[in-house]
Order: sequence, then C-alpha cells, then structure tokens
Amino acid sequence: MSIKKFIKNVQSSLGLGDYKVEGKKKAVKELLKKLLDRKRELKKAIEKASDKKNLQEELEIVSLEIKKGKEILSKLYAKKIKGSKNGK
Amino acid sequence: MLRRILLPTILIVLAYGFWISPDFKEIAAGVSIFLFGMLTLEEGFKAFSGGVLEKILQKSTDKLYKSVSFGFVATAIMQSSSLVSVLTISFIGAGLIGLTQGIGIILGANIGTTTGAWLMAGFGLKVNIASYAMPMLAFGVILIFQKAKSLKGIGYILAGLGFLFLGIHYMKDGFEAFKETVDLASFAVDGFKGLLIFVGVGILATVVMQSSHATIVLILAALSVGQITYENALALTIGANIGTTITAVIGSLSSNIDGKRLAGAHFIFNVVTAFVAIAFMNQIISLVEIISDAIGIASDNHTLKLAVFDSFFKIMGVLMFIPFINKLVNFLNKTIKSSSSKSTTGSDNARYLNDSVLELPSTAMAAISRETKHLYENSFEIITHGLNIKRRNVVSSMPLDEVIQDSYSKSPVDINLFYVNRIKGVYGQIIDFSTRAQSAMTPQNIEVLYKIKLANRDLVEAVKNTERLQKNLVKYSNSANEHIKEQYDTIKKDLAELLRNINIIATTDEEDVVLLLLSKAKIHTEKYDILANGTLDKLIREGLITNEMATSLMNDSVYSYDISKHLITMAEVIFTDMNNLNDEMYLNDGDISEILNKKDEL
Repeated sequence: MSIKKFIKNVQSSLGLGDYKVEGKKKAVKELLKKLLDRKRELKKAIEKASDKKNLQEELEIVSLEIKKGKEILSKLYAKKIKGSKNGK
Repeated sequence: MLRRILLPTILIVLAYGFWISPDFKEIAAGVSIFLFGMLTLEEGFKAFSGGVLEKILQKSTDKLYKSVSFGFVATAIMQSSSLVSVLTISFIGAGLIGLTQGIGIILGANIGTTTGAWLMAGFGLKVNIASYAMPMLAFGVILIFQKAKSLKGIGYILAGLGFLFLGIHYMKDGFEAFKETVDLASFAVDGFKGLLIFVGVGILATVVMQSSHATIVLILAALSVGQITYENALALTIGANIGTTITAVIGSLSSNIDGKRLAGAHFIFNVVTAFVAIAFMNQIISLVEIISDAIGIASDNHTLKLAVFDSFFKIMGVLMFIPFINKLVNFLNKTIKSSSSKSTTGSDNARYLNDSVLELPSTAMAAISRETKHLYENSFEIITHGLNIKRRNVVSSMPLDEVIQDSYSKSPVDINLFYVNRIKGVYGQIIDFSTRAQSAMTPQNIEVLYKIKLANRDLVEAVKNTERLQKNLVKYSNSANEHIKEQYDTIKKDLAELLRNINIIATTDEEDVVLLLLSKAKIHTEKYDILANGTLDKLIREGLITNEMATSLMNDSVYSYDISKHLITMAEVIFTDMNNLNDEMYLNDGDISEILNKKDEL
C-alpha cells in the first residue's frame, strides 16, 4: 500500500474527509440558523406592524437567502456522498 | 549633520579597536555573526510562508494565555530566553504576529528561563547551545542548496540558528579574559548597598557574556562554595534578568519598528520587575522561605532556594504586567514611531504596506486588505463631504431626513483636492505594492488580489463620480423648483442610507446582517434608479422641470447609480469573509429582478 493510499484510508476511517467541505457546511448551517431565526422574527413583526412594506421586503430577501443556503448545503452533501462512493 | 558623521565615526572606532585588541575583534565579529544569523533566520521563516506557518503562529498566539504558553514552552525547550526574544522579533519583523502577541511570548519566555535555573540547581545540567552551532551550519548550508522550498526553509532556519549560536560563542570567547578576572567573592557586601552593587554586577556579567544562563551558573557556583551570600546571589539573579534584555535590543537593530517596540517592552518588563523585586526584597525572601519549606527544600540548600526565588520573581512580574499589556502596547506605539510614517506634504500615505512582508503572501494579502479599508475610510469621508452631509450623522442613528438637512459646509468642498491628498497617493501605493507582492503568490492568491485591486478601483470611481455629482447637487438642493430639489434630496438620502449600511457592514461580525444589508442595498439601487422606474419621464412629461434640469438629473442619476454600484461591489469584496460562500450567497441580477417584479405585482 502506498503512503498516499494509507493516508487516504486513515482519513476516511477517521471521518476526516474533505475538511474544507466540512468547514463550508458548518458555516452554511450556522448562517441558515441565523436566517431562519430572523425569518421567524420578521413574520411576527409583520403581523404587529402598521407599515409592512419594509418588513415585507426584508422577509422576501431572507426567504431567498434561505433558499440559496439550502441549495448550497444540498450540493455539499451530494459532494460528500460522491466522495465517499469514490473512496470505496 | 550628526547622521553624516555617525557612520564614519563608528567605522573608525571599530578599526581602532581591531588594531589594538584581538579580543575586541572577536566580540565585534560575534555581534556581526549574531545579526547575520537573525537575517538568515528571517529568510527561513519567510520560506515557510504561504499561509501554513502564519496560521500555526496565529493559532498558537491568538490569545494572551496561548502566547505566554508558547513563550514558556519554546524557552524551556531551547533553554534561552534571548533566543526566543530574537525569534519573536523575527516573527514580528516578518509580519507573522503582532506586537501584543509578541509581548505575550516574551512574558512566557521569562517564566521559561526559570526551568534552566531548576535544571542547573537541581541536576547541575546545562544545555550548551554553542556546541550545536557547527553541525547546524553544516546541515543548514547543505539544505539551502536544495531545490525544494521547504528544505531550503529548514536550511535557512538551521543556518540562522547556527550563526546565532556561533555569534554568542564568539562574543563569549572574546570576553573570556574578562570573565576570568571576575571574582565574585571580592564583591561580597551586605545591606542595601550590597544589593545594588550585585544587581549592577549581574547586569554587567550578563551583558558581557550575552547569556543570563552563564551568569546564573557563576552565581550558583559562587553560592555553593560560599563565595557570596544568599542575598547577594538573589541580587545577581535580578541583575542577570535586566542584562539579558540587551541581547534583544541588539537583535532589534535590524528589525522593523514592531521589533524595536518588542525589545522596548522586554526592557521595560524586566527593569520594572527588577525594581519591584528590589523594593520588596525582604518580603519576597520570606515568601521564598515559606514556599521552599512547603515543597520540602532544606533550609541550607541555597541553590534550590535561588531557583524558587527565580521562578517566583519572574511569575510575579508576568502576573503584574498582564493587566497592563494593552497600555504598554499603546505606550510603545506612541514613543517608538516609524520615521517614514509622517508625511511632509500633509497628504495621506499607506499605513500597513511594509516591504518586509512582500515575500509572505498571506501577510501581504492581509496588509493590502487592511490598506484598502483605510482607503475606504478616506473615500467614505470624501463622499459625505461631496454630498454636503456630516460623516458623524451618517454613522449615527439620526433619521435620514435630518441627516441631509444638516449641511457639512456652506460652500462646496474641493473634492479634487481631497482626492489628490487622501486617495491618489494611497491608491497608487496599494497598486504598486500589490504588483510587487503578487510575484510570490499562487494563482489562487492572485485571483483574490485581483478582486481587491478592483475594489480599490471601485472606491476611486465612487469618489470621482461624487465630484461629478457635487456641482448640481449643491445647485439644485437650494433650487426654487420643489420638484428638482426633491429629486436631488432623494439622491442624497439614498446615498446617505447606503453609506450608513456599508458602515454597519464594515463594523459587524454578523453574517446574516451583512447579507441582508447588501441585498437591500442592491435592490434599492435598482428600485431608486429614476431612469428605470419612470420618475424622470413623468417629470418631463408633466413639465415639472426644465430641459436643462432634466439633462442634469439624468446625468446625475447615472453618477449616483454608479457610486452605489461601486460601493456595493467594493463592500462585497472587502467586508465579507464567509468561508468563500460570498459569490453563491449574494443576490444576483436575476434574484433582484424577481424581488422587484413581485413588488410590482403587489
């Protein structure tokens, strides 16, 4: 077994994988959590507010960002699955 | 005048010294080799740049307790606080760490030196660093000739350390004759007078031998045979602690301004700690007795008690200084200033671009990024002046309607003069520095650098467009025609809102806030474009403004739109660090149209 292959095997057995992808996933998850919290707060605020225009605009932006974040996350998960299949 | 005669004078004195004394020649050669070792060592660390070494150093020194621990461990391993000080100065000189972290390492190194006293007192051991010099030089030079960058780097580090050790060795050899004439027994004096004399002897001996360890060996030897009293030995230890700072001062001579400041911090720390120890000598001796009893050291074992004193005295100094580190950094920044930071023309210059980091890609990138933020601050100020609003109002929570009413000046400000003084020079220096720095960068780094350069250009364009906008903004803000006045007030208000949001983006760490504000700014820029939203057509059609006003408004709305676009693009590059998610998470043109169309439908 070559050294490179050995390192790869150790990495996959320890679940180290692609740490860049892992880091990115963690960052997206944290951002999504913040955006979802904000969306919840905005919805509550819209119900109570008299001038809903600005809040509605923010809600649309946040919803779009959440959609984008989820897409990025699913791409990252797909990458991981693909990577582990190749490893096998 | 003084500078002109200084160098020849030094050269003449050196030449005379070489002529009359072979010992002096050896000492001077030792100092030269020592300084050359520092330069070589810096080369070695630079070879390891590219991100990895910077990250290791930043992670091991990003918090005060970490940098103190780093200093302690490094000194305990290398058995030389002088060497750790010199290495720390190299790290700072290469831009790998900042002054605060450097001071943390020095504090840790001071505690680390106590391990040497324990080893010598407890086991009679001493690591002789000079004996490693020759093999280090031999291995180092062989590795320097290798093609691989990492091997070359290791070679430079080994050779650098070898030269450092060799330099110290030559200095010691040169002073050997002097060392032999020092008879500690002849200085044995009691009382406060004795204390001061022995502190002085400790300083002198350490300066001469360039090693506090050597002084402590002498102290322990003298103490064990009863040549000096225990109290005199304590005073000598305090003196050795002051004397060791001289090595760091010599090391800082070839370093940058931060290296000189670090040597200053080292000196202040050791001298102040020494003064406190002298002032409270009796109390410290009592405490040392209590600690020694507690850990089972025999009352007549003065050598181990000396090690306890050494540890207590140094740990006390570190604990005493930790609360004042930031004040110490401020003091050093104020007192030790760079001669090149002041400009004689009154114009602004680059603050963070230092040629010493040109070969360190990550550090150079960080410097360029910081400098771009500096350019942004200047641009922000000029744009607010151009809009005739006050910067402090923009960054406050004052309602925007009030912000635009509170004028900055009654007469228009000369934006071009501001541009020449505050933008042009800094921008030119950033571009020049970036061009030189990119030769040591990877293609990925160059790609990032290209974006930063574009962000700089965005700032320059935003300022230039403000200058173009200013003329009519001043004219029509005071117009009798309410409709045109309203339009120009709206332009001012929109730009003030954008500047306020960018200021929030620049100062927050919340990624969701950054995303939201950037998205809002993009949507507003498109929504408030009066050419696109039909406002201008309506004003012309209904004859509410003259043709001349319409032309001005049309041109100025383009300038305003461009200022917004440039500032948003710049902010996306400079103020966001979302693990490379930026491009994917930002709203693109399609997203903006989608949101704007939804609004129209509503």
